[in-house]
Amino acid sequence: MPRLTRRETLRTATLGAAAAATGLPNGAAEPRAASAAEAMPDQPLFGAQLWQLPNGLRVAFVESRRAPVVAQYLFYGAGAGEDPPGRSGTAHFLEHMMFKGSRRVATGAFSLAVAREGGNDNAFTSRDVTAYHQHVEASRLQLVASMEADRMAAPLIPPETVEPERLVVLEERRLRTDSNPRARFREAFDAALWGPQHWHGRPVIGWEDEIRAITRDDLLAFHARWYAPANAVLAIAGDVREGELRRIVEAEYGAVPARPEGASLGRRDRAAPVLRPADAPPARLVRHDPGVREAAHIRSWMAPSLTATLPTPGPMPGGGTLGSEHAYPLEVLAKVLGGGQGSRLHRALVETGLVVAAGASYDSDVVGAGEFGLYATPQRDTPPARLEQEMAATVDRVLQDGVTEAEVARGIRQLTAGALLALDSLGAAPRMIGDALASGLPIEAVEHWPARLRAVTAGQVTAAARAVFGHAQDASGWLLPEGAAAPPERAPGLAAARAGQPI
Amino acid sequence: MSAPFRFPIQVVEAGGISAWLFEDHSVPVVSLAWGWPGGSPLDPPLADGRVAVGATRLGAALLTEGAGDLGATAFADALRDEAIALSFSCDRDGFDGSFRALSPALPEAVRLARLAMTAPRFDAEAVARVRARAMAGARQSLETPSGQAARAFWAEGFPGHPAGRPVGGTAEDIAALSVDQIREALSRQVRRGGLLVAAAGAIDARALAALLPALFDGLPAGAPPETPPLPPLRRFGPEVIQVPAPQSTVIFGQEGIAVDDPDWEAAQVVMRVLAGGGFASRLMQAVRVQRGLAYGIGAGMQVLYGRALLVGQVATANPRVGETLSVTREEWARMAKEGPNADELADAVAYLTGSLPLQLAETRPIAATLLAQRRNGRDPEWLSGRSARLEAVTLDKARAVAARLLKPDALSVVVAGQPEGI
Repeated sequence: MPRLTRRETLRTATLGAAAAATGLPNGAAEPRAASAAEAMPDQPLFGAQLWQLPNGLRVAFVESRRAPVVAQYLFYGAGAGEDPPGRSGTAHFLEHMMFKGSRRVATGAFSLAVAREGGNDNAFTSRDVTAYHQHVEASRLQLVASMEADRMAAPLIPPETVEPERLVVLEERRLRTDSNPRARFREAFDAALWGPQHWHGRPVIGWEDEIRAITRDDLLAFHARWYAPANAVLAIAGDVREGELRRIVEAEYGAVPARPEGASLGRRDRAAPVLRPADAPPARLVRHDPGVREAAHIRSWMAPSLTATLPTPGPMPGGGTLGSEHAYPLEVLAKVLGGGQGSRLHRALVETGLVVAAGASYDSDVVGAGEFGLYATPQRDTPPARLEQEMAATVDRVLQDGVTEAEVARGIRQLTAGALLALDSLGAAPRMIGDALASGLPIEAVEHWPARLRAVTAGQVTAAARAVFGHAQDASGWLLPEGAAAPPERAPGLAAARAGQPI
Repeated sequence: MSAPFRFPIQVVEAGGISAWLFEDHSVPVVSLAWGWPGGSPLDPPLADGRVAVGATRLGAALLTEGAGDLGATAFADALRDEAIALSFSCDRDGFDGSFRALSPALPEAVRLARLAMTAPRFDAEAVARVRARAMAGARQSLETPSGQAARAFWAEGFPGHPAGRPVGGTAEDIAALSVDQIREALSRQVRRGGLLVAAAGAIDARALAALLPALFDGLPAGAPPETPPLPPLRRFGPEVIQVPAPQSTVIFGQEGIAVDDPDWEAAQVVMRVLAGGGFASRLMQAVRVQRGLAYGIGAGMQVLYGRALLVGQVATANPRVGETLSVTREEWARMAKEGPNADELADAVAYLTGSLPLQLAETRPIAATLLAQRRNGRDPEWLSGRSARLEAVTLDKARAVAARLLKPDALSVVVAGQPEGI
């Protein structure tokens, strides 16, 4: 169930450099001449064609004649974030059951038919979207379009297939989470920050007891509401002409009836974060696990995203919410603070020998409130309190002195330098476009993302840091081997937060 | 298929180095992959008879941690400023380098890759940092049943042979390595001799011919030392590794087929029907679809020392390990006895021929595939001729190969978890 966002696509694209992300305190040399990406005028990355069918389905098309193949991705604007209360895992369970047949496709026949044509197919569920995809030889597009449209209209979900597939889902949960102490911890940490029944605090695959409680009616109801044509994006890339594609799409998907009672893109009804009282301490999760051999530390703050503002627990100047204008600056902040070698955390924690690895993470292109996270794997002789103090001091320096023009310029350059590498992958365009549109973002958020990042200033990055670290709700956690000394009861405070600095 | 699949490969020679090239200028990207035989079995021997286990893999990680006059951060910035993905990797039977770069950054990619191979710095700070990371990684890999099972499978399968060791060594091995040992490992491995190169993307033969000496001329002459021949996979198990987890990982395998065996494609067809990817295989149907025993199961042909071992993996709840193993063995035995049926054969051939263009639609997998073909001693026409060879596999041939290849009673099995019923 990987989330294939812009960040993930690029991370994969530059894996070698990212994997080698560690460093010497010898000062960042000035970047040389402008990179290929920077030298280009701000052209759209993919140049996608967009249109909408009368039933509301949005279609995005990127022609590529590079190889005689085509990729079809159907994204629904619903993911685990839309699971009904007490039924976490519904979106993901339905994804499995979509392979159990539809009116014109027998149970299990979808994947076998694709394989017989030499194609590959799969699906994934994230918190924000559910997507089904096939890569096939170009002349087989109509076949996969026909089958995909058929299960959009009405999946069978044969009753006798539900229980065996529930066992498969439970095995998937054991594989991904229950047998992995780090995944178990991450799941518990999300619940600690957001709440175990909040849409952001529940696991995508679902809590085990809730997976067991999901009924066939739950699955059909989820499909009826969320798998409406107007709540979906069909993203296609490959060796097909636009006229031929329009004919196929209208013939196959145009026949799926509109659902006036169903969902449509951009409307999710997601609950606002549950905020603690302003005077209550932040959540703290400390877990000793006998399966763990290396400790891990996380500290996360709720954050605004491109799609949502963020309410804050305490009063603050200028109102009680942080705005979406911080979203792109937060991406740059994550790079400056924790983007591998040369970053602030790397210099303060890794190069000093306190930790084995440290970094920061943030995705701007999510549905609803986002999360800004810091993480570190301590060296074995580093006391937890020491690590947390150094991490807090590093953040404090950003809050007090701001980030520099030079590190922002370097960060933006490195974040955007590989943008064109997405053209080397047939699946990148439909994944990035489908994910963004299904998440309620405009196509420009994909086509012009390098320009949007390049517009970020050092002042905006500093302001975003003060907004989130100074005012957003946070939580911290420790995963420790059995017998390891316990960390302090609370995470250290930040100077800027204590001082109540304006944002 | 609308047209017969063609995959034109040029052979480019310059300065005693040859490279295979798939040229495609539709996107301004170039991927290069190169490699040598060797890998972790080349970890250098010590004076006292022991071996500096893990030295080669740690050396691979250190090549991109500062070189020439660039310290580690400056080297990383030089790569990231141009989005150059340069990396080196060490495995059980080989050592590889690769990069992918946008066309305008290609000269810089060549400069940095050459610098990494010819003038790595091994600054004390970088060595300490990369060593700590490798030690943490080695420990973390043992936190899950799958990590424990993988380590045990190779150790049990090839006891006494260096290919049976953990590729990067244990945390204790890594802690004991000296910089001299790491230098020694790299000087045994990274040489002019034994080098195989493949390229894909927006570069023509002339430009590639100019690039090859620029990249490799600084390497010392001669080939990496020979490694001891790999004995047959030892038959063992089920070997149980106790790991506190609700689910067990099972790894199973047997000896396979030489890469130059004339029945290579027939073996691929048989393994596709029995255990290939997706939902089509007999094992996936029997284990997941019919019984809900696992999220997935598969087995494939894993090439090591010039032959393909048949290795598979499945994870299931502890109480159902016995049943999962039984079903797997039954399907293995049924395929050995009966082979595929006519429909299965046709479907498998259709998939294997039809999916080739999909695997070759991006520069990095193309370069990696070409390098793998070279390592297997293939001809440049091998890929273009593959469809015809697959379509020539008859039912009788597939059945005969299944009977020759599959040995259900000789499956070596390791189980990590708290399994029941075995």
